[in-house]
Amino acid sequence: MAEVILENICKTYGNNFHAIDQLNLSVEDGEFLILVGPSGCGKSTALRMIAGLEDVTSGSLRIGGVDVVDMPPKDRDIAMVFQSYALYPHMTVSENIAFSMRLAGKPKAERKKRVDEIAKTLQLTSLLDSKPANLSGGQRQRVAMGRAMVREPAAFLMDEPLSNLDAKLRVQMRAEITSLQKQLGVTTIYVTHDQTEAMTMGDRVAVLKGGVLQQVDTPKRLYESPVNAFVAGFIGSPSMNLFEATLMGDELTVGAFAIRLQNAAFGRRPGLKSYAGRKVVFGIRPEDLYDSNLESGRKYQTIPAKVTSIEELGSEHIVHLSIDAARVDSGDPDAVQDFGMASNAVAKFEPVSAVRSGSEIRLALDDTKLHFFDPETHLAI
Amino acid sequence: MTRQKRSRHRLKRTVAPYLYLSPSLVIIGLLMLLPMVTVISYSFQNSAVLRRDSSFAGLKHYQAIFADPVFWASLWHTLYFTCISVIFHMTIGMIFALMLNSDRINPTLRNILRVLYILPWLFTAVIIAVIWRLLLEPNGVVNSILMQLGIIGSKIEWFSSPETALHAVTFANIWAGYPLFMVSLLAGLQGIPKDFYEAADIDGAKAYQKLIFITIPQLMPIIISISLLDFIWTMQVFPLIWITTGGGPIYSTEVLSTYTYKLAFSSYNLSQAAASAVVILLISLGLTLFYIRYQKAR
Ligand SMILES: Nc1ncnc2c1ncn2[C@@H]1O[C@H](COP(=O)(O)OP(=O)(O)OP(=O)(O)O)[C@@H](O)[C@H]1O
Ligand SMILES: [Mg+2]
Repeated sequence: MAEVILENICKTYGNNFHAIDQLNLSVEDGEFLILVGPSGCGKSTALRMIAGLEDVTSGSLRIGGVDVVDMPPKDRDIAMVFQSYALYPHMTVSENIAFSMRLAGKPKAERKKRVDEIAKTLQLTSLLDSKPANLSGGQRQRVAMGRAMVREPAAFLMDEPLSNLDAKLRVQMRAEITSLQKQLGVTTIYVTHDQTEAMTMGDRVAVLKGGVLQQVDTPKRLYESPVNAFVAGFIGSPSMNLFEATLMGDELTVGAFAIRLQNAAFGRRPGLKSYAGRKVVFGIRPEDLYDSNLESGRKYQTIPAKVTSIEELGSEHIVHLSIDAARVDSGDPDAVQDFGMASNAVAKFEPVSAVRSGSEIRLALDDTKLHFFDPETHLAI
Repeated sequence: MTRQKRSRHRLKRTVAPYLYLSPSLVIIGLLMLLPMVTVISYSFQNSAVLRRDSSFAGLKHYQAIFADPVFWASLWHTLYFTCISVIFHMTIGMIFALMLNSDRINPTLRNILRVLYILPWLFTAVIIAVIWRLLLEPNGVVNSILMQLGIIGSKIEWFSSPETALHAVTFANIWAGYPLFMVSLLAGLQGIPKDFYEAADIDGAKAYQKLIFITIPQLMPIIISISLLDFIWTMQVFPLIWITTGGGPIYSTEVLSTYTYKLAFSSYNLSQAAASAVVILLISLGLTLFYIRYQKAR
């Protein structure tokens, strides 16, 4: 067991592409850290550098206090779970799990004992003699976990281990991996681009964008106080709505309407005062927008909006809206798909909401939940 | 739909695939089955082809060739020639494929090697035979190099001394045939997921362990099917041997194909030649059935 410390890690690929820039990250002993970010942001690169599958261009990397930058993967005392699982198709489940012990020349009896132990933890006992091709996705996933566990490594590295599973199984395996990690207490770095996984599984989440670390924090802090518009937009589903406005006294003027701010809003953000009379970016999460016709929305101020479409999910309605305001792009490439052509905002309404597609409504918003960002730097105010 | 209509519809559906197949079935029948059946029938006739009223001979011709020591020598030579060829085709093909697939070798060099290694494949059997006849001539390049290196003391008549002739033709055939393995194995190697090797790296596998535990098992289906095909083809090699040694000297490179050819066109004993051809056919057929069974089992 060990902590993993990255200091000023940079990675430049052979084609001069800077995949990782000055990454500083320290993962505590036994911690479950999630590395999240949009596709191509360098998550896999970072993980593969920790594993030793990719050279570190510059910076220092320590696992359990040992500088591992120049060590081959096998000496780093880590185990990796691949997105594809990388199970050997010609070997049975038990041979797959015992592979590293076989390479190390461990006697057969010892191998069998250890494999049986692991199979029991992972409920694979009845499958030990099957070939991977005959297993279901979830079972394969567990075998991959077993192969990682067999060596009792100092750290687990997982690269999108659940992305090949269907949605339902993913939910189940999410819980299984989390509880297994707690049970084993092994430092784990887990890469995903699924922000639900990020929010539910990790002790802390590191958000990466374009090879640059944006924020490392607990899921709750990440959700409540994102450091910039990108993190605000990336964390949460559907994404936070971001708009441009002008701060006039205690009002946000947005196109044809205005949002009144309470004094507390300025109290909590001393910096906001200096934006008086200037442009500012404000954000509001879909769950902080309400249908003004419902009890839940009565107590908030309202703004005009037009409903463009509704997704009825049973437990809630995802309502796509068009409001008279300029939407701001958070820089998250995945966020764009949340917005249809005509709509520029998304709200989550209770399923009792009776709003209809195409109708003009009054949209209630909880102004205490507003987020503010600088229009130039996109940093939180 | 009435019942009649429906049954006609069903009939159409059953017959249609055979209709589509029929042109190829006719061609195969005319070009392959017919000659095959004719040869088999010749092998049971006296003076086949040569006389109109040839009579039934029973197993006489088979008894004759089985009693012929040259037939047994040919059979042995064929097996030696084929087994050694296939083993070396596989080994050399594997080594070259691994080299071409390795990223430790500079890409430019790799591309050059790729072209070089595949060269033997570009030549037809006749040209290969001529090349090796020239190279292995008593005054040829091979002898002079070997003598200069001090490996041999005097010039060796590779193709015309009974001790070396079979090895020499086998060698030439090895040279001519490895690219098939190389190309197939290279394609196979490129299809092995990189993850397998990375996972093995993390687990601490050494290079030879990766070869034994990952590469070879992953390539096994290719190795087996190409070996069987190569075996079937090499058994029937004719032009290379015919042009280099013609089966000599003193039958030392006589293989089943040259033996049969000589029976037919030197001795004009077409019935015995047919019997010998049927023996080759049976061996090939056995191997082919084995191959098909293997392919089906996968
Ligand atoms: N071997 C390589 N050579 C050059 N560029 C590479 C190489 N591998 C990755 N890259 C680039 O580095 C960037 C980061 O890649 P990486 O695989 O780490 O992304 P990722 O965050 O894991 O994305 P995804 O979520 O799609 O897996 C990408 O833009 C990719 O094109
Ligand atoms: Mg990745």
